Amino acid sequence: MGWSDVYYFIMVPMVYAAFAIFMAGIVFKLIVVFFSKKSKGTFSTFPKILPRPLGVLKDAFLVPVAWKRDKILWFFIIAYHAAFVLLFIGHLELIKEFALLQIIPHQVFLGAGIVGIVLIISVLYFLFRRFKSPWRGISVPEDYLILLLIFMTMIVGSHLNLAARYNAAGFDIPVEDYRTYLSSLFAFNPTIPAGITGSPHYVLVALHIFFANLVLMVIPFSKIIHMVFTFLSLNIQRK
Amino acid sequence: MEKQKIAELRKILTSRLNRPMRYYNDTCTRCGLCYDTCHAYQGIPEKIYSPVGRAEVVRKLYKKYTRLSGYLFPYWGDSTSFNDPVMDEAYKAVWSCTGCRRCVMNCPFGIDTALMMSVGKHLLIQNGTAPEELVMLADAAVEKGKSIEEFKEGYRQVIRDLEKEVQKRLGLAEPDGLIPMEKKNAEILYVGLAGAHTIVNPAIIFNAARENWTLSFFEGVNFGFFAGDPEKADFIAKRIINEATALNVKEIVIVECGTAFRIMRFLMGKLPFKVSSIVEVIHRYLAAGRIKLKDKSVAEPVTYHDPCQIGRNGGIYDEPRDIIHAVAADYREMSPTREQNWCCGGGGGLVALDNEEFRIKSGKPKKEQIVKTGAKIVVTACENCVMQLKTIANGYGLDVEIKYLTEFVCENLIR
Amino acid sequence: MSDALKPDVTMDLKGLACPLPVIKVNQQIKKMQVGQILVAETTDPGAHADFPAWAKSTGNEIVNTEKKETSTMFYIKKLK
Repeated sequence: MGWSDVYYFIMVPMVYAAFAIFMAGIVFKLIVVFFSKKSKGTFSTFPKILPRPLGVLKDAFLVPVAWKRDKILWFFIIAYHAAFVLLFIGHLELIKEFALLQIIPHQVFLGAGIVGIVLIISVLYFLFRRFKSPWRGISVPEDYLILLLIFMTMIVGSHLNLAARYNAAGFDIPVEDYRTYLSSLFAFNPTIPAGITGSPHYVLVALHIFFANLVLMVIPFSKIIHMVFTFLSLNIQRK
Repeated sequence: MEKQKIAELRKILTSRLNRPMRYYNDTCTRCGLCYDTCHAYQGIPEKIYSPVGRAEVVRKLYKKYTRLSGYLFPYWGDSTSFNDPVMDEAYKAVWSCTGCRRCVMNCPFGIDTALMMSVGKHLLIQNGTAPEELVMLADAAVEKGKSIEEFKEGYRQVIRDLEKEVQKRLGLAEPDGLIPMEKKNAEILYVGLAGAHTIVNPAIIFNAARENWTLSFFEGVNFGFFAGDPEKADFIAKRIINEATALNVKEIVIVECGTAFRIMRFLMGKLPFKVSSIVEVIHRYLAAGRIKLKDKSVAEPVTYHDPCQIGRNGGIYDEPRDIIHAVAADYREMSPTREQNWCCGGGGGLVALDNEEFRIKSGKPKKEQIVKTGAKIVVTACENCVMQLKTIANGYGLDVEIKYLTEFVCENLIR
Repeated sequence: MSDALKPDVTMDLKGLACPLPVIKVNQQIKKMQVGQILVAETTDPGAHADFPAWAKSTGNEIVNTEKKETSTMFYIKKLK
């Protein structure tokens, strides 16, 4: 077994496994919630100015609590989550061309590398913030490790984008090759084009996919599940 | 800790894992926004008195026993097994929390620390380290519910004495029937507390408004809830629900007691009658002209302390302010106020414990708020709050008078 | 007053807010010997139901209640 087998394992079977664990994990979490007892009575706080769904969406997407209490943190929370959405769209475009997303014409990847940089800076802010008391005292290893994992994924991913964009160090994997690779995964007929496997930067692609796989698998079983539960727990506060 | 005990504690832990608890366990990102939003932390800046610090004590037990990752890699999320130090830590976290839920307002996910603390309370009961005063009071309240028939006569007699006082203060000819008991089909079943002021003042108001009401045999406060025993809490609340059902009343009106009000109005599920706070009822009488107050008759500066369970957790903000505005010429708002008002530090059963020194320290933000208003009279609508505010006033040597809203209304009632 | 009702300890709980009278009595009775009598004077109307209920749940006995003009004396005998 050589390195190419390891890379293949990361690039194909592990991706399928990670997606399966990610989706099954979230479904599992929701099933567990669905079968647990509901609480008797209501846990509202007052006043409830907006109707419930609107209020929940406002609290979830605008994070007024952070705005009121820590404007710098609020800025990074919003920057991070907004950039994450753009990141998601960017990866969709790496699967295939979506005409809908080209309403505002742009090059793939979106934002010419800014998105990745915003994410990296935000993650570093979240990380360094935890080095300071009192946040240091309330942090547990999970908090640091997840940030580290996301940081690693993003720094490599960002490099892949920036290096290809500016053709640094002979970096020459074209967007089309990523599209071939990712769409073949979606078609359950996986192929890794020679443009990727033959590139001296194959190791970076594999590393990026490896970290991303870990992130995906960790989501349902860590605090990142807040991407789903935020809405449910805010709903209880307004019920 | 022996295996048997750990097994029992685990049973309680898992039995309390309902939907909200699952969200609250998993969602917290330890962002720390709540960190200093607890009055106790303001008074004593230790991690255990911060909302997230408290919640983590319960959360790390859940991680250990309900999550594979917590079991396999305890260091990943700092999960802990049951042991004596962690139970001591739980005691410190739980019995310094008033359940005011100010932190809920300051959590981006709306995590209810008070609910998590109620699990901690339940564990402490099983562990045998719950505050015995509260367990004893809960037992007595349950006993009262079981054998109420034996105690009715004694209670009736002493209520007759109170009728005379109501008669005197209203300037009426006859005391009879001023505090009706066991009156079928009354509009209102009024639930008071043990103290005379919780019956006399409302009786004066009900009589002034010519209300068709009756007095409950039971006290509104729920020591089962304070102690953290869900079964006893349920039984204690149901004493009143059963009484109201038997008397076929239309509405239960709860004394100035935050817990009693929140439990009856929000935590008992759907009930076949309305549940109101006496504050709302007074406001209703005033709006309908059924009682009249001496207009702007109090010249001294007055401020109002929102009891957490009536304001933040009950939504009654404007009614007490309207009532006070009618009487006070110089009303001053605290800052922050309403949903961000600081808890006095007496709720959750804390005033019943031997912890005065702690309560004076944790009452620091409240003290500062009161001083800043410059008010001479602090009005509030909760027995716990009144007791704690008096403790704060004594502890810091404040020159203020603490008053119940009903007392304030009765003093300025036009007969 | 018969000898049996001679108080060993007398407590003045007048004007104390709920639930302190019951708590104080509970604390005091723990310090006493079985068979001794504690007399508690209180102004709380609620005590007329709360004291007997407390006595029943803790296994003590209220041997006599004596009403005064504005307060009541409860004679509590420690049984265990």
